[in-house]
Amino acid sequence: MKWGLALFLTIATLVLVAIAWFQSGGMKQHAMFSATTPEAAVQALMSDIQSHNYQRAFASLDPASDTDLPSFIRDVAGSDGSLRTYASLQSADVSPLHANQDEAVVRVRMNWSSAVGSLDDVRDLRVRREGSVWRVVWPKPAFPAVPPQVVSVNYLRWEVIGRNTSQAWGSQDVDSPKVRITSMNAISRPGRVVILGEVENEDTIPAYLNVNATLLKADGSPIEEEGSFDMISHVLLPKQVSPYRIDFPGIRMEDVKSVRMDARALLVPASADPVIAITDQAVSKDGLNRNVLKGDLINQSGRPVNIAQVLAAYYDDSGKVIWVSDGYVDQALMPQVPVPFAVDIPNDIAQRLKNYRVIVNHYSRTSS
Amino acid sequence: MKGIADITVALKKNSRPFVSVFGFVFAVCALSVAQAPPQVHLDAEGLAPRPIEELTGTTIARHYALAWRDLAGALDSNNARGLGEEFVGFAKDRLAKRIAQQSQSGLHVRIVDHGHQLKALFYSTDGASMQLVDHAQLEIQTYDGSKLIDTQNTPHEYMILMTPGADRWYVRDLEEVSAKP
Amino acid sequence: MMRVTTMFLIMTRTRSGSFYGRARLLAVAALCFCFLPIFASAADLHPPATVEAGQAFSIPVQGSGEATFYLVGPDHIVKRTVKLGGDLEIQSGEVSSAGRYQAILCDSSCTFASFQVNAAQPAHLSFFLHPSRVPVSTPNSIDATAFVFDRYFNLVLTPAVVDFRITPASGAGFSQRVPTHHGVAWMRTSSTAHEGRVQVTAVVGSVEEARVVQQVAAEACRLNVRAVPSGKMIALETDPVRDCSGNALPDGTVVSFTTIDSAGKSTVDTPIKKGIARTEISVHGRAHVSVACGVIEGNEIAVNGRL
Repeated sequence: MKWGLALFLTIATLVLVAIAWFQSGGMKQHAMFSATTPEAAVQALMSDIQSHNYQRAFASLDPASDTDLPSFIRDVAGSDGSLRTYASLQSADVSPLHANQDEAVVRVRMNWSSAVGSLDDVRDLRVRREGSVWRVVWPKPAFPAVPPQVVSVNYLRWEVIGRNTSQAWGSQDVDSPKVRITSMNAISRPGRVVILGEVENEDTIPAYLNVNATLLKADGSPIEEEGSFDMISHVLLPKQVSPYRIDFPGIRMEDVKSVRMDARALLVPASADPVIAITDQAVSKDGLNRNVLKGDLINQSGRPVNIAQVLAAYYDDSGKVIWVSDGYVDQALMPQVPVPFAVDIPNDIAQRLKNYRVIVNHYSRTSS
Repeated sequence: MKGIADITVALKKNSRPFVSVFGFVFAVCALSVAQAPPQVHLDAEGLAPRPIEELTGTTIARHYALAWRDLAGALDSNNARGLGEEFVGFAKDRLAKRIAQQSQSGLHVRIVDHGHQLKALFYSTDGASMQLVDHAQLEIQTYDGSKLIDTQNTPHEYMILMTPGADRWYVRDLEEVSAKP
Repeated sequence: MMRVTTMFLIMTRTRSGSFYGRARLLAVAALCFCFLPIFASAADLHPPATVEAGQAFSIPVQGSGEATFYLVGPDHIVKRTVKLGGDLEIQSGEVSSAGRYQAILCDSSCTFASFQVNAAQPAHLSFFLHPSRVPVSTPNSIDATAFVFDRYFNLVLTPAVVDFRITPASGAGFSQRVPTHHGVAWMRTSSTAHEGRVQVTAVVGSVEEARVVQQVAAEACRLNVRAVPSGKMIALETDPVRDCSGNALPDGTVVSFTTIDSAGKSTVDTPIKKGIARTEISVHGRAHVSVACGVIEGNEIAVNGRL
């Protein structure tokens, strides 16, 4: 009986160790050194990236790769406080594009998880056979070099001196910014109701804005209340217009009689910089044949933007907002350097859209 | 006003458990009735310079009723802790001062509230203040310790200023004026 | 007072023409007479019907011996032992809050009387000027509300006249005299055509409260963009951005430039600096440029990338 227990414990320990080895990608790591197919080579590389073992990943690359370890790490793990630096590789889908005896091209769709959701990075990797082993050729990443320079910044900033709470009732105060919902559209999407539109800061001071919507039944009672969360530009400068989108998952349009909208604006200190140009915007198909709105972001200021979020509003031919989508850019926006972006457009929206407008939310570690 | 704890302690003396359970339920029900806010009817007909929104009217009536519930509780128990929920500014300061002095003098006041007819007089255009007059039917009993020293059972008229907060309307000023019978 | 009323009630109830009625009346009167010495120790209170807040006064009390005096007010409670047969002195601080007060005098029994404390002369104004920013030339856009309080912050319910004096940054000022109603006076006026500070002062007697409203430019008017070459780029620049009254839109106001060329659409939201909005953009071939400020659209121009 005593030996039986010891035997059971030993077997259980071995099984757990084996599971842990599998989980940590041990099998894939083993496969790397014996990658007999191009897909296996890419899978093994992704496994190393997933476990943050960049040195091993770099060592597994084909010697023809024209890159060095720091560049490889920067390319894969991000830099300059970008969103990628806070993300981790969740999964990688590998599919061969074409192959011959010694060389192949494999498409890898990396799915990175981050605090703001998942990010996709699709790359077509060249894989070469070396003896019996396939190795990935990692292209040299082209990091735009910002020439050393002094950028003079003459930016506007608003500070707020609030009312002293100890002052008597009725003492002079500054009103909250005046904002206006310029359009609102309720649409039915699979499994949810979506409220979308645009809101304008009509005031002469910046506003920190939240848009909430309450769906109401026929008797006027509320069904559910939701906010726009990150599907809005919360800080709006004077006369700036932002799209917003509020999702109500699990609600059917037939149950909704009316919608109560509430745009609340607060007076906040803000800066008019950075200005980000959105250039070369065009609707096209991406590598996975999805409809996307692509373009480049150019930070026209002198200070890096760590994380940028693109918000796009799509209009039909009558000028009505029919969809709002967003996408985070996982690279930092260095001054004057174009950074590509792409945001998804649902197929049915892509067929109906006549026009679109893009704005950029930005987050900088040193900004307020 | 006895707390639930006091009543349940009293009930523990009863040896029969089912009687205790029934008694506890009864005590909770009795307390919830005792703490129910009074009836408040708001008349905002012809309010100027800004008309009242339906939701605002409902909110004001509800919070004014809660204010009287809290006020009655605070004057009876000489505990000003609950006043901050519904009172602010002059009204809160005055009531807190009165309760402190009541407590010091050993007095307490019991209000039997028979309801309030609230009439809105003025609603500022920015929505930041509303003036109302309240015709209240109150029975006000003043005790020194346990000795009843005065009972008032006459109509009372109050001039009220209410101002909005984040999620409610607060009573900012509450002054009794000469009631017109 | 309470005792006398009770006796009167008893007597009126027994008023009847019958012999038994008269006999009962006599018996009750005798009974009251017997108990009179007991009641007589609680003296009657005769305070003034109304008192001005913060005014000391006295309540004469007849009788002899000692009694407990209570004064129950909105924010003040008094409990003290007093000697009967003199005046009860009420200090100014004991009646500083307006409202109904109960004066109670107890020995073996209690008598009470109530009196009203009314607000004193206006001494404070709670003055609300709304909004703090207003676009120029907007009718009925400025609201002023004044609540009149005395020096103890009691609302002054007796009618007073509030003088609202409006002083624009430029141009002549004017005033409006508004009587209070339940202690409140309010007025409404229009913003003038020029941006800048407008001071509004509420005056009642010698009390003044000043507030400021900032008149700001209205929506942009005749928004005009032009393109100038800037190295390999094209600089897009607006004329000074003004409203229809000629007031400059404040710096920081966002102007949106949109360029459509062969590479697609490009947009830049740029804030106005020193009165104009400016950005640089690269253009591929012929391009179509438009400009907007909020919901106001400006002119459209065609430019060439080789400009």
